[in-house]
Amino acid sequence: MRLIVTSLAAALWLGLAGQVSAQTISYSEAGALLAKSCGKDIEKYCPKVNLGGGALKDCLAAKASKINPQCIADYKAVVASLDARLAAQAAVTKACRGDATQFCQGTAPGNAHYLGCLNAAKKVVSKRCTAAITNAGWN
Amino acid sequence: MTSRIPAGSRGLALAAAVLLASAASGPASAQTALSGNQIIQTMNSAARAAPPGLSAALIRQAVQQHMIDNPGMPITWKPLELLDSLAQVDVQIQFALNSAIIRPESYATIGSIADALHHPVLGGYKFVVTGNTDTTGNRKDNLALSQARADAVVEALTTTYHVDPARVEAVGLGQEALQDVKNPKNPINRRVQLINIGKYLPGK
Repeated sequence: MRLIVTSLAAALWLGLAGQVSAQTISYSEAGALLAKSCGKDIEKYCPKVNLGGGALKDCLAAKASKINPQCIADYKAVVASLDARLAAQAAVTKACRGDATQFCQGTAPGNAHYLGCLNAAKKVVSKRCTAAITNAGWN
Repeated sequence: MTSRIPAGSRGLALAAAVLLASAASGPASAQTALSGNQIIQTMNSAARAAPPGLSAALIRQAVQQHMIDNPGMPITWKPLELLDSLAQVDVQIQFALNSAIIRPESYATIGSIADALHHPVLGGYKFVVTGNTDTTGNRKDNLALSQARADAVVEALTTTYHVDPARVEAVGLGQEALQDVKNPKNPINRRVQLINIGKYLPGK
């Protein structure tokens, strides 16, 4: 699944409204998008802050008037997507419980085993479960 | 040697196969040299399972001991071998000169580590992120810088990228675990490693 960067924000906002159908991007894609949209501004206006711990967010907010609007928009979209991905990861067990019972009997305990089964049974697994796995980044 | 990988490796193999299939359908990011899927495969090696009881604190102790046991010039040192047998990947992260500020071009690489650590296949393991310098400059300063850099990567992983802080710790190795011992100033020695240090047992 590959999202076109310019449509990402729109896709995210639309997706979030529908919750289960939210489309999320990988952590790697999130980092790449931040670097692409904000890298120059970060090196110019926030050269002494790090990605983690809220420092970058605070600096971009403090310098907002100088930061290019695409960066601000993509930063928000990235944060929303990462939050949605985390929520999807937490929701997989519940969203897929019925499918696991129906299609994965006899699977050894452990999340990854069930995930392997559910991904292999993709054709018959419910849309709700498939969407949760997709948004979790586990397909 | 006992295997530290849980029984039922068929499920794991299946999950890995599915991962590979999805990786083939489109690269997640052209800017990233190392993908989350590659990291998962490397980190999930049963043959390179960590000895029981290994911890970030023990590695830090071993680094201190290595500095005491190996005075003088790097060329005379016995390399720190504690981590050599473990499942690990070398990661190139670009930092600002002499600081622990991660350059934006490396945000995606740290994201790849997060992609791997978030995957259930690795959910039962804990990890250390190490920092390594070459031998340019002062040995103690290098240790401090490498710890600060590893800390910065772990902070990005556990805040921006939501990795569970109970599963990943930062360890500065300074210039004690050189990759190119014969050429201690070789820039290849400057690197961050992700290392699987064994089973994650919540509450322990």
